[in-house]
Amino acid sequence: MHIDWWTLALQTINLLVLVWILSRFLFRPIADIVRQRQAAADELLEKAEAQRQQAEEEEKQAEAAQKAAEKARGNVLQDAGREAESEKAQILADARKQADDLRAAVEAEIERRRKAEQAKIGEQAGALAVEIATKLFTRLPDSAKIDGFVQGLAEAVAKLPGQARDEIGADGAAVTVLAARKMSDAEVASCRDALSGALGREVSVSVKVDPALIAGLEIELPHAAVRNSFHADLDRIATELAGHAEA
Amino acid sequence: MTESPLELTPLFHVGPVAITSPVITTWGIMAAMLAFCLLTTRNLQLRPGKVQALLELVVGAIDHQAEEVIRRDPAPFRAVVGTIFLFILLANWSALLPGVEPPTARLETDAALALIVLAASGYFGVRLRGTRGYLKSFAQPTWAMIPLNIVEQITRTFSLVVRLFGNIMSGVFVIGIVLSLAGLFVPIPLMALELLSGTVQAYIFAILACVFIATAVSGDDAPAETSSKHGSTS
Repeated sequence: MHIDWWTLALQTINLLVLVWILSRFLFRPIADIVRQRQAAADELLEKAEAQRQQAEEEEKQAEAAQKAAEKARGNVLQDAGREAESEKAQILADARKQADDLRAAVEAEIERRRKAEQAKIGEQAGALAVEIATKLFTRLPDSAKIDGFVQGLAEAVAKLPGQARDEIGADGAAVTVLAARKMSDAEVASCRDALSGALGREVSVSVKVDPALIAGLEIELPHAAVRNSFHADLDRIATELAGHAEA
Repeated sequence: MTESPLELTPLFHVGPVAITSPVITTWGIMAAMLAFCLLTTRNLQLRPGKVQALLELVVGAIDHQAEEVIRRDPAPFRAVVGTIFLFILLANWSALLPGVEPPTARLETDAALALIVLAASGYFGVRLRGTRGYLKSFAQPTWAMIPLNIVEQITRTFSLVVRLFGNIMSGVFVIGIVLSLAGLFVPIPLMALELLSGTVQAYIFAILACVFIATAVSGDDAPAETSSKHGSTS
């Protein structure tokens, strides 16, 4: 068997050249384009992954924002509830206070009116009593309007303080005695004796008629008065009645 | 005296160099492959067309097979293994053309292919393991095995040559004999069978080349590589 060495050498060279040709014009371009496609696919996958992660992140942020909004809403509602409750309590307290004030004012007004009414009734009762007493005393005999009061006047004068008693008939002046009617000389003398006895010295008496006294005697002094008359008694009774009515 | 059909007759001479028919056929195949590559790869797109998809399928299949056998990133070996497979395939199929004898039916072409495989295994062994590491592989498992390992390198290279040459040459002879005895269309089934046989032989040669390269680059001192399919250029 014969081997053509030139053919062997040429075929070896040819095959080496073919290796270079295919490497340069077939395998390398194909590998490059496959690698580029792989890189593009990887890039797309990375982008998709990045977008997925971004979407998840945004979803988490949205959930967090929603939770925060719900929490804030709850807080607002809670605050509003508390505020409304407080305002309601305040309004109720104010209303209750106003009602209490109004009720107190009404009660005070009622009390005032009641007292005024009672005072008015008392005054009317006092006036009626005075009127009744006046009418009753007008039926008394005239002697009773003076005699029964001389001794009482002397006792009242005796009970006065020393300075007030000294003013009565001081310096020899006559003691002015108010009487319900004109007194007789005997009655004047009786009155003078009683007063002299009460004062412990001799005094003179002048009489002034005042029918308003109804019955009884009174002495007016610069700083005091000695009243021993029905008029004074009725005044005290009317005052007492009015005081009871106000109480 | 009848001339041996295994003898090559120079078609012409270029100086002292005799140009024979396998060389001419090989040039034709190379020109066709170059033209095809230039046409199909000048406008590659990320969205491939049918032809680009077919090319990517072929390249991907070559990468897959090389990776399965070598257990490494196939990118460094793609050019050698792929070229061997595609050339043998097209050379075997060139028998379909009238008046064309496949270059692989000649001993010189097969020997050239086997020499390239032998040189590639040595090149990749030295490149990946270093000269010392590659030479140490001949002393495995013991120093006494050095002669036997060297003989193995030679014998397996011869086995590549003889296997491809015997299969293709026998097919050509059978078809020629049947054609001369029976007539024009009778050898057609045999030619179809030869297509299949040529494909299988191309596959076997390429796989054995991968096995030899894998034997050269494997070992404890070989750096580990991470596989990245189609990830780097050859």
